[in-house]
Amino acid sequence: MAKLYLKFEQAVLKEYDLKDGSSITIGRLPDNGVHIDNLAVSGHHARIVWEADHFVLEDNNSLNGTFVNNRRVSRTPLKHGDNVLIGKHTLSYWDEARRGTGDVAHVESNHPTGPAVAAMEATVVLDTRKAKEMIAQQAHAQTGSPGIAAVPAKERIGMLQVMDGKTDQHQYVLSGKLTVIGKSDMASIKLKGWFAPKVAAVINKRDGKYYIAASEKDVKVKVDGMEIAGQKELNEGNVIEVAGVKLSFTFGE
Amino acid sequence: MGITVEVAGKTDIGCVRSNNEDNFGYDARYGIFVVCDGMGGQAAGEVASKMAVDTILTFYRSSSHTGHYPKVGEQFEGVTDRANHLASAIQLANQAVHDAATHHAAQQGMGSTVVAVSFEGEGSFYSIGHVGDSRIYMVRNGEIEQLTNDHSLVMEQVRRGLITLAEARVSKMQNIIIRALGTEPGVKPDLDDKLAQPGDILVLCSDGLTRHVEDDSIAEVFRNTPDLRQACELLVNAAKDGGGEDNITCLLLRFVEEPWYKRLIRKWFGWLLPGGGSPKWQNSI
Repeated sequence: MAKLYLKFEQAVLKEYDLKDGSSITIGRLPDNGVHIDNLAVSGHHARIVWEADHFVLEDNNSLNGTFVNNRRVSRTPLKHGDNVLIGKHTLSYWDEARRGTGDVAHVESNHPTGPAVAAMEATVVLDTRKAKEMIAQQAHAQTGSPGIAAVPAKERIGMLQVMDGKTDQHQYVLSGKLTVIGKSDMASIKLKGWFAPKVAAVINKRDGKYYIAASEKDVKVKVDGMEIAGQKELNEGNVIEVAGVKLSFTFGE
Repeated sequence: MGITVEVAGKTDIGCVRSNNEDNFGYDARYGIFVVCDGMGGQAAGEVASKMAVDTILTFYRSSSHTGHYPKVGEQFEGVTDRANHLASAIQLANQAVHDAATHHAAQQGMGSTVVAVSFEGEGSFYSIGHVGDSRIYMVRNGEIEQLTNDHSLVMEQVRRGLITLAEARVSKMQNIIIRALGTEPGVKPDLDDKLAQPGDILVLCSDGLTRHVEDDSIAEVFRNTPDLRQACELLVNAAKDGGGEDNITCLLLRFVEEPWYKRLIRKWFGWLLPGGGSPKWQNSI
């Protein structure tokens, strides 16, 4: 069963149950199911009707129009979380059973009634545009300047300069997520020589940072002369020694 | 010496929900492992997650043996072909869920998260892909590392320095995710390539696990329990002890060294072994 909440500004004035299969009229005259006594509302302004398996909102050629989520509509299916603006009043439509991607604005607002609490439990998806807006808004509220936190910092690209040893190039740009040092086909930094290991070490890129790790326990990888255990973040100017090659790490644009 | 994978998985309805919207599936023959967490009312969440798992497994089953993978949606730079195959499978799943959601009123608005691992071909490399707030962890030498970044509003705020991690863990907006399968016509999965070391454990899980079990507690389980199936039980129980507010799913993989002769036996006679390499997946009931 769906519910309608009649609101004026933030205050909930009244709630209405919408049983599946039923319909309800909205208008200024007292014979309406939802009676809004305000001159901005037409006598018989709009109605909500059942259609097959969902509710549909129909505007009844009202003078001031009917708006759903700030868009003027003449006829539209209602979904959980929709806000219907009629004159200066809002009708919030709640339908937990058929809820889809709910309107997150409700989760945020201090909704005085039950639905917001119920909405907390289920996972809700923000569409891409809304998500960007929300995050930008919050960044704006915190930093006072729009767009600073909303735009991620420009990514720095790591580069390796070969100082010593046999490789196929003198310089490498680490643009991929995973850079393999070794003789394998997977390797982008190709080692030459008979005894070079297939995979000596790997460099992972994550969130603009680079981490180096040995491929196996018995391969030794040194960063600035120190043998590493596990993975190590690479910093500007680090010198890597592995399988007889020496590489220096720098950040480029 | 090659590397092969041990696997165990479990899904549980939890303590509060009346239905299980999580699904997982894998096919060891093609090295594909998937966990999905569905959303949407009237059982549509279950439909979405099942559809996503099935679409991804089918993608690999119908492409792996020919070596020809259809390109679906966007292809990405800076990652291997293996990762791009996974991206295609995920984008195909997105299309399938989105089509169903737009054509059936009862399934309107349904969607799903996905985390997937593709461990395919020779060598010790694997690729991961994900959309939403399900996670992949790697446990190596007792240390745990999260390999995925949640596509959730709170974690996005953390990444942008707007709130702290501690604030995120208690936020009332934890349930809001900013990317999902099926809610928009296109989706961009996050992809990564990794090198497996023998002994590495991967944990693919839904947020029903991670909301109640801290990262260190997950690592702790593997320090004490070498058996993957037991570890699955322990993880699910830990989440239920913590409240079990959501469905809980974990799929565990361990990379193990495999001597060459065993590899040949598996390759030629694998179909004779009990359950050897046969596909497994489950319905959430």
